[in-house]
Amino acid sequence: MPYLGSEDVVKELKKALCNPHIQADRPRYRNVIQRVIRHMTQGVDVSSVFMEMVKASATVDIVQKKLVYLYMCTYAPLKPDLALLAINTLCKDCSDPNPMVRGLALRSMCSLRMPGVQEYIQQPILNGLRDKASYVRRVAVLGCAKMYNLHADSEVDGTLVNELYSLLRDQDPIVVVNCLRALEEILKHEGGVVINKPIAHHLLNRMPDLDQWGQAEVLGFLLRYQPRSEEELFAILNLLDSSLQSSSPAVVMAATKLFLVLAKEFPHVQTDVLVRVKGPLLTACSSESRELCFAALCHVRRILRSLPGHFSSHYKKFFCSYSEPHYIKLQKVEVLCELVNDENVQQVLDELRDYCTDVSADLAQAAIFAIGKVSAASPSFGARWASQKAMPRGTSETQGQTSEVTRLSIKNWANDSQIAGAIARTYTDQCVQILTELLVLRQEHITSAVVQTFRNLVWLCPQCMEAVCQALPGCEENIQDSEGKQALIWLLGVHGETIPNAPYVLEDFVENVKAETFPAVKMELLTALLRLFLSRPAECQDMLGRLLYYCIEEEKDMAVRDRGLFYYRLLLTGIDEVKRILCSPKSDPSLGLLEDQAERPVNSWVSEFNTLVPMYSKACWAAISSPQVSEPHGPEPSGNGVLSASGSLVSENKEERQPLCDSGSFLLLPNGQLTAEQFEKTWLSLEVAHREVFPWQGVAHPDTIQTALQMVNIQTIALSKAGVQPWKAYFSAQDGAGCLFLTELLLDPEQSQVRLSVKQSQAKAEALNSFISVLKTVIGTIVGIKS
Amino acid sequence: MIGGLFIYNHKGEVLISRVYRDDIGRNAVDAFRVNVIHARQQVRSPVTNIARTSFFHVKRSNIWLAAVTKQNVNAAMVFEFLYKMCDVMAAYFGKISEENIKNNFVLIYELLDEILDFGYPQNSETGALKTFITQQGIKSQHQTKEEQSQITSQVTGQIGWRREGIKYRRNELFLDVLESVNLLMSPQGQVLSAHVSGRVVMKSYLSGMPECKFGMNDKIVIEKQGKGTADETGKSGKQSIAIDDCTFHQCVRLSKFDSERSISFIPPDGEFELMRYRTTKDIILPFRVIPLVREVGRTKLEVKVVIKSNFKPSLLAQKIEVRIPTPLNTSGVQVICMKGKAKYKASENAIVWKIKRMAGMKESQISAEIELLPTNDKKKWARPPISMNFEVPFAPSGLKVRYLKVFEPKLNYSDHDVIKWVRYIGRSGIYETRC
Repeated sequence: MPYLGSEDVVKELKKALCNPHIQADRPRYRNVIQRVIRHMTQGVDVSSVFMEMVKASATVDIVQKKLVYLYMCTYAPLKPDLALLAINTLCKDCSDPNPMVRGLALRSMCSLRMPGVQEYIQQPILNGLRDKASYVRRVAVLGCAKMYNLHADSEVDGTLVNELYSLLRDQDPIVVVNCLRALEEILKHEGGVVINKPIAHHLLNRMPDLDQWGQAEVLGFLLRYQPRSEEELFAILNLLDSSLQSSSPAVVMAATKLFLVLAKEFPHVQTDVLVRVKGPLLTACSSESRELCFAALCHVRRILRSLPGHFSSHYKKFFCSYSEPHYIKLQKVEVLCELVNDENVQQVLDELRDYCTDVSADLAQAAIFAIGKVSAASPSFGARWASQKAMPRGTSETQGQTSEVTRLSIKNWANDSQIAGAIARTYTDQCVQILTELLVLRQEHITSAVVQTFRNLVWLCPQCMEAVCQALPGCEENIQDSEGKQALIWLLGVHGETIPNAPYVLEDFVENVKAETFPAVKMELLTALLRLFLSRPAECQDMLGRLLYYCIEEEKDMAVRDRGLFYYRLLLTGIDEVKRILCSPKSDPSLGLLEDQAERPVNSWVSEFNTLVPMYSKACWAAISSPQVSEPHGPEPSGNGVLSASGSLVSENKEERQPLCDSGSFLLLPNGQLTAEQFEKTWLSLEVAHREVFPWQGVAHPDTIQTALQMVNIQTIALSKAGVQPWKAYFSAQDGAGCLFLTELLLDPEQSQVRLSVKQSQAKAEALNSFISVLKTVIGTIVGIKS
Repeated sequence: MIGGLFIYNHKGEVLISRVYRDDIGRNAVDAFRVNVIHARQQVRSPVTNIARTSFFHVKRSNIWLAAVTKQNVNAAMVFEFLYKMCDVMAAYFGKISEENIKNNFVLIYELLDEILDFGYPQNSETGALKTFITQQGIKSQHQTKEEQSQITSQVTGQIGWRREGIKYRRNELFLDVLESVNLLMSPQGQVLSAHVSGRVVMKSYLSGMPECKFGMNDKIVIEKQGKGTADETGKSGKQSIAIDDCTFHQCVRLSKFDSERSISFIPPDGEFELMRYRTTKDIILPFRVIPLVREVGRTKLEVKVVIKSNFKPSLLAQKIEVRIPTPLNTSGVQVICMKGKAKYKASENAIVWKIKRMAGMKESQISAEIELLPTNDKKKWARPPISMNFEVPFAPSGLKVRYLKVFEPKLNYSDHDVIKWVRYIGRSGIYETRC
């Protein structure tokens, strides 16, 4: 075990390193050094032999030198004073006649991450830039970037930058690429390296000399260049044409991106490019290197968003093999259901049906959801289907209510458009049939997924309601998970009048409600039972009473209890009122249940092409890209919305924050979280204290807004999805004096304005103003309001 | 750019760790171990995000290679780099295994030093790298002047992949056409999808800066040439193949390929991959698997599998292995096979049938009776597909090398003096028949 007795190990190593006999015996000496490195790799702290290792660096043995330098680079930050001793040897090596030794010494010296090293490395780097061996020049160029990184706050040295720019014309291709990389890092604050016309043309000419890494990176840098004229643009495209056929997928991807970006004004060229990379992408998708295959599949999904039929004729390439890893199968299923057209629908459905019984529950469920997508995504049926997970299911009263209403409205809308979809009908019938057959297997995960799919199908294709209702009885025995139960209960509640045994199934749920672990299921049960009560009062009255009693008297979960109370009071107002609320046709399409799946222009995703964005799920990417939450140093000082001017949301600048905190004029409490119910109640009881309209640009990403506001302790209560119109959002916050601020944002797309209404629980004008300024700063930083 | 590179064994112990940039801390090593290697569920994705750090991993046998970065990088490039890293290591010490990595850890650190600098990929050609890597440890004093100038000229040369002044007494080249044929067949014998992914690998031991020209039976070329004489088109048209997609080594002049479809290049010294291609049309499927599964009652299964070889009788296929999956509740298996050896492997839940050699246009059969334990598991057996492995001495895509010509104007050896070897190997990729 490396972690036990490491002290003894270090002691022994130290002894061995000091032993003159070992020092004299070169192989043995090197062996001891190797052991030091081995322990370092395993995580043992061997920094205490630093002194001895420095001594070992004075040798003619290159291997030993390399090992010692590796050691020094790792521990130099811990022992800066001792590391200085090594500088002498390194400097001497920098003028060795052997270019390899020069390069090695220079690289190691630049990698010593310790303060004060800058003054020693400056001269060797400058010499290295003019070295006659390109190996040394390569190292020296990146050394500039390393040096700059050590002292990021230091002034950018103009002469050095100029020298690097001139080295872009170096003979050696790797020096050229390294120059670009170094300049990019050094000029980070000025927007990176400048690619003007001569540089761009020079790089284009050098392209064939570069290796694959260089090509991929240069293609990335060329994205910055904006050709002056159309002729120049097409000349560039012609020049780079061969990159689309490179043997390296990385180069192909980078070239594709460049082509798509350069041709953003010419949609037909973009389509043409996508047709041309079809071959390479398909090759990557069926390649034996799984990871690359995964990356390619993720990008295929991106492309399919703009060109839905793009890979349809190659649908067989996306059939899963048994031995493929799980993650590839899941991606392939997602791709398959996008490729369906009238010719291949039969084969694709047959294939998907095979996956439904796969041993992996995940894949089986994904395949079932995919069949649902196929049935909804018929050619004449304009809109696609929202993935089940994306729906804001009713977790709070406000959202729950609206989503109920929206479901109804979607139903109506679907009713209108289904007339057009004769083919859609055949898809749907077939899908429902496949799904019904799956129920016979009585597998928990399958039944649950099928019922969830049914619920979604019933909204989108109401014509299949009858078939679904016939299939439902008996399902309740095989569903254990929360999502499946919710779906079943919802179906029973809404279509209870056509399912004979609906009340009895729900009665079972009511009987067992005490043992139910998921609050969401209980809430769904309340709504469903109340709904069924309206259509079949005689059978439901008794159990509705029991359920309400349980929810109000015994339930521990506040949200469930609140909903129970709400329904109880609603019932007290009379049956007409209940009907008006529960079955009201008023709808708010703003909450966007249908994820925007309409065809997107290529330009909407091209900037994300060939980055990590397609590889991660949307939610995951939002979490990564959202600004970093302040470092968790003990208790978080309550943020007060100070934002640095640069637009960075990381409130690292403590100097700015501190005085404001001390003055204590305005503080928002970090834990002022309101439930949606409380929010609604308070909102309705208060008057609007402040109203304002200001201009708004761009699309707001809900996750970004939520995270940003979270940092200044403004809690998000509800948000509509990005791109939905009109877009709405509700926030709450509480200050130190206990005053509540409730906020509504309403985005008016036509006039590109946003309407802001703030309500306040105590009338304090000063606090209100501070709150509004905080809110506006945050939002302004995100979407760029000119205030 | 890559912030760090780690290599782990299957237990999650770190074998190699090299950090290139400050933003990657030592804790990243542990984060990957805990979240991916020791994770309970199967791997969700080859790209994992842990605390805003992206981990790209590749697995070779039971070794994990992980590249770590905090930047938004090109995924394809990072994976390609990891593959390249594996190739380079394999070129130095063969198979990537725990033992080999432990024994060569100095060499790996040396390689990592040269291949990446500050997280940016540098020179990664095995041939070129050999100049910098001192596997045996050359002493700097004893290095000759000649060797030193070699380093300088190699890295400043116009052609990055070949150094000047290479000399061989015997000019020789080896050409391997390596194909892997992939098949997915329905139980009814319908081909659901089939493709061949092939590589042309060349080992060249040629003096000077030779200019090579490579020709194959590509449909487009044959048609172009056949335009003049009509009957030739008829003759050769049959044998030509349609390539869906092909890519070349950096040394191939693509402009010439686009205009004339001719493949000309100056090859790197030693082994390299000249071209990579994919075909989907007119694939010769070397084997056909005909499965027959019958369920006799609840506790017995009868399986009969026939394999038919479908190529010239004079050729021999080798290393044939048919894997017939069995249900989890199998209690006993009786196997009878006409050829080769068959065994039920309980740990793998499969009957493995191995045949050493099999000639073309032959047929062989295996029949098995599988006894099942009665279970009350409602789950139906999913019937995984029957998979197959084999090696055949021809190219299933039908690709043929027509010529490879060598011209070296400066040195006096001609095309005829070069000894050339061509070999075709077709292997099974994923070759599955559903039952």
